[in-house]
Amino acid sequence: MFKSGSLIFDDKKIKDFINKESNPFLKKSRNNFLKKLGEKKFNIKEEYKYTPLKQSIEKNFNLRFEIEKSISSTTEKKILSHIINDNNVYQIITLDGKIIKKFSNIPSKISFKNFDELDKKEKSLLHNHFGENDDSDDDIFSALNGVLWSKGLFVYIKKNQVIDRPIIVNNFYTSEKNIFSSQLRKFIFMEKNSKLSICEFDYSLISNNFNSNVTEIILEERSELDYFKIQNDSNNSTSFNSTNIKQKKNSISNTFTFSFSGDIIRNNLNISLIDENCYCNMYGIYALNNKSHVDNHTSVDHIQKNSISNEHYKGIMNGHSNGVFNGKIFVRKEAQKTNAFQSNNNIILSDDAKINTKPQLEIWADDVKCSHGCTTGQLDEKAIFYLQSRGINKDKAVSILINAFFDEIIQKINQNIVKDKINEILSTKIESYLNER
Amino acid sequence: MLSIKKLKVSIENNLILKGLNLDINQGEVHAIMGPNGSGKSTLASVIAGNENYKVESGSISFYGKNINDFSPDERAMMGIFLAFQYPVEIPGVSTINFIKTALNRIREFNKKKPLDAVNFLKTMKKKMNLVKIDRDLLSRSINEGFSGGEKKRNEIFQMAMLEPKLSILDETDSGLDIDALKIVSNGVNKLRTKDNSTIVVTHYQRLLDYIVPDYVHVLIDGKIVKSGSKNLAIELENKGYDWL
Repeated sequence: MFKSGSLIFDDKKIKDFINKESNPFLKKSRNNFLKKLGEKKFNIKEEYKYTPLKQSIEKNFNLRFEIEKSISSTTEKKILSHIINDNNVYQIITLDGKIIKKFSNIPSKISFKNFDELDKKEKSLLHNHFGENDDSDDDIFSALNGVLWSKGLFVYIKKNQVIDRPIIVNNFYTSEKNIFSSQLRKFIFMEKNSKLSICEFDYSLISNNFNSNVTEIILEERSELDYFKIQNDSNNSTSFNSTNIKQKKNSISNTFTFSFSGDIIRNNLNISLIDENCYCNMYGIYALNNKSHVDNHTSVDHIQKNSISNEHYKGIMNGHSNGVFNGKIFVRKEAQKTNAFQSNNNIILSDDAKINTKPQLEIWADDVKCSHGCTTGQLDEKAIFYLQSRGINKDKAVSILINAFFDEIIQKINQNIVKDKINEILSTKIESYLNER
Repeated sequence: MLSIKKLKVSIENNLILKGLNLDINQGEVHAIMGPNGSGKSTLASVIAGNENYKVESGSISFYGKNINDFSPDERAMMGIFLAFQYPVEIPGVSTINFIKTALNRIREFNKKKPLDAVNFLKTMKKKMNLVKIDRDLLSRSINEGFSGGEKKRNEIFQMAMLEPKLSILDETDSGLDIDALKIVSNGVNKLRTKDNSTIVVTHYQRLLDYIVPDYVHVLIDGKIVKSGSKNLAIELENKGYDWL
C-alpha cells in the first residue's frame, strides 16, 4: 500500500497506471510527482487548518481506480442544457477533461486541445514547461493530481493574437465517489502581445463527485489574460483547484473566482511576478449557504521591481456555511517599488455561518507600498432602516445591500456575458437568503 | 393626523419615553425642544418605526390608524418621512436609483402609476433646485463621502421627491453652517402646504427663526413638560431648561 499523509492508495495500481502513460516525458513527470507524494513534506495541518478536505475524501470517496462509462444520451441532454446560446462567445465543452468537439466552437486563432492531440511543436512547448510552475511541493492534492491526472487541456495562443470574444469552457464531471476520474491538468501558454479571456464553469453530473484541476499558466511579455472561474454546482461536488500563473515583463492577469455552491471547495491561486512591470488583479466573490465550505488560498510573489498586485475578495455566508480566506503576499529583496494591495470583506448572515480569514505578508524589500485589511460583520441594520424609512421593504433593502456589497467586484468584470451570468446567479442566491431568513 | 397617547418606549430595558402625548393636525409645524438625552431623537425614530426601540405601552395613530405594529416601510408609504440626524452612507447604491425605487413604491401604494424615466428626471430637476443639490452628487452612492451639509440637503431633497404628509426633521440643523441652514430651511418652507405637517426636533432656537413653528413643546426626561407658541422657544434660548 502506498501512503501519503494518511491517504492510502494501492501502490501497484498506481504504478500500473503510470506505466500505461505512452509519452515518456509525461511518464517521468508522473513519477516525479509520485516521489513528492512519497516524501510527505506537506504541511497539511497548517495549510488545511480550516478545511477538512483530506478527511472528507478519506471518508466519502473510493481510493481505487474504476473504469469510466461512455457518454450516455441522458448525460448529453444534461450537458446541452448548460450551453449558452450566444454568438458573442466561443464555447468549449469538456467531459472529465475530454474536449467534446461536436459541442465545441474553438476559435481558429488558438490551439485548444487535449494533451494526446498535440503536434510536435506543441508537444515540445508542453515538455519545456510542464510541471515547473505548480504548487505540488506544498500541496498534497496538487502532487496527487500530478500523478493521477487523466486528461490534459492545452491552450496556446501565438504572439500578437487577440481573441476578441470570451471563451466559455464548461467542464462536466461524471465520476461518483471516485477520486481518480475527474482529475484534470491544464496548461495555458500565451506568447508576447496576445490577449485572451477564458471563463470556466464546473458542473458535476452526479452527486458525490470529486474533481481536481491543476492549471499552469505562463504569460509572456505584454500578454493579457482574463481568467474567470465560476463554481455554482447544484450537485454539491467536492472540488480542488490550483491555478498557477507565471508572469513575464509587462504582462497582465485578471483572475476572478466566484463560488456559490459546492460541498467543499478549495481554490489555490498562486501568481508569480518574475519580471518587472507586471500587473495582476485577483478578485473573488463567495456567496454561500447550507453547508457549503469554500477556501480561497491565494499567494502573490513579487520577485522583480515595479510590479503591482491588487487583490480583493468579498464573501457572504448564511446557514451553516464556512468561508476561508488566506492571502499571502511575498515581496522579494529585488522587488523594490512594489505596489501590493489586499483586502477581504465578509458579511455573516446567520449565527452558524463562519469565516476564517488570514492575511500573510512577507516583505524583504524596503521601498514598497503594501496594504492589507480584512473586515467581518453583519448587514448594517442602520442602512436597512434608512432604506425602509423611504418605503422600501426589508427584503428589498437586504437585497439592495447585498448587491451593493458585491458591486465593486462585479464592476471589475470586463466581459458583459460573465457579468450578466454572475448577476443572474447572485439574484437567485439572494432570493434563497431571503427565504432562509 | 398624528396622535400619540401615553407612549412609553424603551431601548435595551432603559425606559426613554415615559408616557408622552402629542397631537398634530394637518398643516401644522411643531417644534420639539429639550436638553440632551431627553428622548427627542427616540421620539423621531419611534414615529418612523425603528425596530430597535420597544413600545412598552401607549399608541401612535396616523390618520386614525394605530401604527404601533407597522414596519418602517409601511409607515413611509403612508406618508411619514424621517430626515435623519446622521444620514447613513451606503456604498454601492446609487442615490438616484434608490430614490426612484422608493418613489415608485410609494406611488404604487397610493395607486398611482410609476413615473417613467423622463418624468422622473423632470421631477428630480425641479426638486434639485429647491435644495440646490448637484446632479453629480446624486449620481454617487447614497451619502458616500458627502459633507455634513450635503447629507442634510440630500435628506430634504428626498423629502421633496417623496412628498410625505408628515415630515420629521431630526436635528437637521446640527452640523450646518448658516448658509446651508438657510438653504435647507428654505427648502422645507417651500414644501409646506396646508395639507402636510412637520415635526422639527432641535436643540437650538436658531433653526426656528427660519422654520417658524406653530407650536413648541419641551421634552424633558421622556415627557412633554410644557407646550406653547414660538415665543416659548425664545424664552428657552434665554433661560435654558432649568426653570421648567
